[in-house]
Amino acid sequence: MSAVPSPSHGQINTDLLRPLLKTSWKFFAVVVVLGGIVVAALLAWLSQMFFGFGISGIRWPVYWGFYVTSFVFWIGISHAGTLISAILRLVDAGWRRPVTRCAEVITVFALMIGAMFPIIHLGRPWLAFWLFPYPSERLIWPNFRSPLVWDFFAINTYLTGSVLFLFLPMIPDFAVVRDKSTGLRRRIYTLLAVGWRGTPKQWHRLESAMAIMAIAIVPVAVSVHTIVSFDFSMAPVPMWQSTIFGPYFVAGAIFSGIAGLLIAMAILRRVLHLERYLHPIHFENLGKLLLVMALLWGYFVFNERLVTYYGNEPSEMAVFWRTQRESFAPLYWTMVFGNFVLPLVIMGIKRFRTITGCVIASLGVIVGMWLERFLIIVPSLGHKYLPYSYGIYRPQPVEIIIAGATFAAMALLYVLFVKIVPIISIWELKAGDHQPPDGSHPVAEKRSLREVEG
Amino acid sequence: MKAVYALYPDGHSAQQAVVRLHAAGVNDRDITIQSAQPIEDFEFGHRDKATWMWWIACGGALIGMASALGLAWLTEMSWPIDVGGLPIFAWWPNLIITFELTMLGAIVATVVTLVLTARLGRGSDIYDAEVSDGKILVGVVNPSESAVAGLEAALTAPPGAQLKKI
Amino acid sequence: MKWGMAVDLDRCDGCAACVTACHAENNISTVGADQASRGRAKHWIRVERYWEGEFPDVRLKFRPVMCQHCENAPCEPVCPTYASHHTADGLNAQVYNRCIGTRYCANACPYNVRFFDFFNPSWDKPLHLQLNPDVSLREVGVMEKCTFCVQRIKATTIQAKAEDRPVADGEIKPACAQACPAQALVFGDLDDPESAVSRLSRSSRGSKLLEDRGTKPAVTYLSRQS
Repeated sequence: MSAVPSPSHGQINTDLLRPLLKTSWKFFAVVVVLGGIVVAALLAWLSQMFFGFGISGIRWPVYWGFYVTSFVFWIGISHAGTLISAILRLVDAGWRRPVTRCAEVITVFALMIGAMFPIIHLGRPWLAFWLFPYPSERLIWPNFRSPLVWDFFAINTYLTGSVLFLFLPMIPDFAVVRDKSTGLRRRIYTLLAVGWRGTPKQWHRLESAMAIMAIAIVPVAVSVHTIVSFDFSMAPVPMWQSTIFGPYFVAGAIFSGIAGLLIAMAILRRVLHLERYLHPIHFENLGKLLLVMALLWGYFVFNERLVTYYGNEPSEMAVFWRTQRESFAPLYWTMVFGNFVLPLVIMGIKRFRTITGCVIASLGVIVGMWLERFLIIVPSLGHKYLPYSYGIYRPQPVEIIIAGATFAAMALLYVLFVKIVPIISIWELKAGDHQPPDGSHPVAEKRSLREVEG
Repeated sequence: MKAVYALYPDGHSAQQAVVRLHAAGVNDRDITIQSAQPIEDFEFGHRDKATWMWWIACGGALIGMASALGLAWLTEMSWPIDVGGLPIFAWWPNLIITFELTMLGAIVATVVTLVLTARLGRGSDIYDAEVSDGKILVGVVNPSESAVAGLEAALTAPPGAQLKKI
Repeated sequence: MKWGMAVDLDRCDGCAACVTACHAENNISTVGADQASRGRAKHWIRVERYWEGEFPDVRLKFRPVMCQHCENAPCEPVCPTYASHHTADGLNAQVYNRCIGTRYCANACPYNVRFFDFFNPSWDKPLHLQLNPDVSLREVGVMEKCTFCVQRIKATTIQAKAEDRPVADGEIKPACAQACPAQALVFGDLDDPESAVSRLSRSSRGSKLLEDRGTKPAVTYLSRQS
């Protein structure tokens, strides 16, 4: 437990509103640098559309590469918010309070970035709107039997739900900012606060809405990454047609999401001086969760590979050895180290479960999970059934720039968000002091007039 | 007079104020309470808890489910296209779209209900910016002239009260 | 009407006349040596060549592979826009106008017979005069593959209907079957038990490519005997 004393209400307001009300030159420098990288990626994508898809490394028969890897990776990262925010809210874990909004923000932005990739990787992206079911003059609708259409519905549902899940608890905080600001800023936040006054009725409605959303968003999150895994398991490709893909991907998503959250929290704590709010115990708790997910990831990988190995089917074993022993072995073993060995060692030993330790383990997981997505896609596609049609994928600059710039885009969106909204939910942090005494049935303090008058 | 209210530093005082207002003959409906957090540890924070929101969310879910099934059925039957030998209306794949739109229906219904029942977006009757600093506001809107003195007495009695009239 | 093909591997000598004819008939552009080495060539029919054994007991085997027009085509359910679907006469159709280029169909195809247009096609003059007006040009970003020369199928069936007579066996020849000097490729109606392709499909030498995948291809390969 932390020795830092609990801050007063006024101090909470000051600390958490400081990023909104004060801006230094460092903010603009960071935005310019990150923005520059994002613009470079945009130019890369435009050049891909202009010069033709051939400037990428995609080839026969490896038709999916860095773009789909990034897609699955970012959708995976987006599962951070749901787990921390919704599940911990449902089990009433108090330690979630300073962490929920950080997590929910990651979800929304990671989803937005991930959802760009189904458009970026299209041969004709200007026709992406055909995935939306609308009565077209061609009298044709999307193919609801296709996993890509399931993707469309799932990601949109999850994005809508996550944005609302993020926005609803921000309303009381927007009201606080509204009250503290003047001029144009005040008008903007008045609009965002949608007339919030803080009556008990409003609080109860908000809490009911949050509870329903928390219950609804968890199955949606599970379904989203399961459906993303169906993009692979629905095709008869060696080592893709595995029934384990659904749970495997969901576990991997939660795993990478927690890692992303830990890194974001560590950076925020340092840059915004939130030492009083993000305590080492928060990192330790999340670190334990990271350890559990690492074990779960190892369990799923073991399951998948043992069954393949035992089945000894020629085309599957060819891909199996390709990752484990042959050309992809360096990437494969790096992945195992980053996803399994490193988190187990660092998170498993109490002495290493510090904030720095959590960040190192999380960075390893981020690298490992990206590699895992890549190693699912590329080795299998390059080595299907007919040996004459095997192929080797070599990523080209346009793909590397776009895939790499997504990290800059995430950072940029986060930096801009932190400037506009308090990154720790002010009212939720304070509301932790006003819980009903025994948590289950509120034994509310109620006095009669005679008691009051003494 | 538009309203008479007082700001209290904590829940104890606010609860006393509410009790005194009741004694002065004011209905629950006419008492306005505002706070910067949900005050669950006092009785006054428990009003207006009952809500239809859960039922409406279920209703929204049903509408979403019906829309998805309708969409899939109508579009797949209007132009039956053979893909890979699968049935034209295949249950297993269509259940996925159905699930997603069901959840979307529940989510959207919840948010719409929140906005409407919490009367978000409407202009406020009264509000004091000091509520954001942690004060709890208890007061009466549009009191009758004769009752004002009694209300003032009730509101100023608890410790730490700051009376205001607008 | 269920179109199918039989490929006699005993007759095939790997000359690749079928590949050339297919390019000519279907307006398939060549991509140049550099792009071909990067795997961008679009050979709707290709001659797979396998070397077996060690020198001096080396054997060379040829196998022409084109779209198998599978009954349970894995490429069809995964297309989000119905660009890849099955027609009533047993063809796997690729509708270029619906394709948005997700390339899922190509990944799902176990035979790797689907090709992506990486660039807009171009023909050096005067080769542009050789283009077949019956076949549409595909722009960058769409998938394309063997169609069993559907333009020839349609032309003949429409003509036969106008003349109020059935289509005779052997009347429709896709470009590859027409060009093959050894007559190794036989095309016809599998629903007609007396057609040449049906009889060859029933041969004891006959087998399907990757039959255990359950795709139910419409192409039968007659194994080499010598």
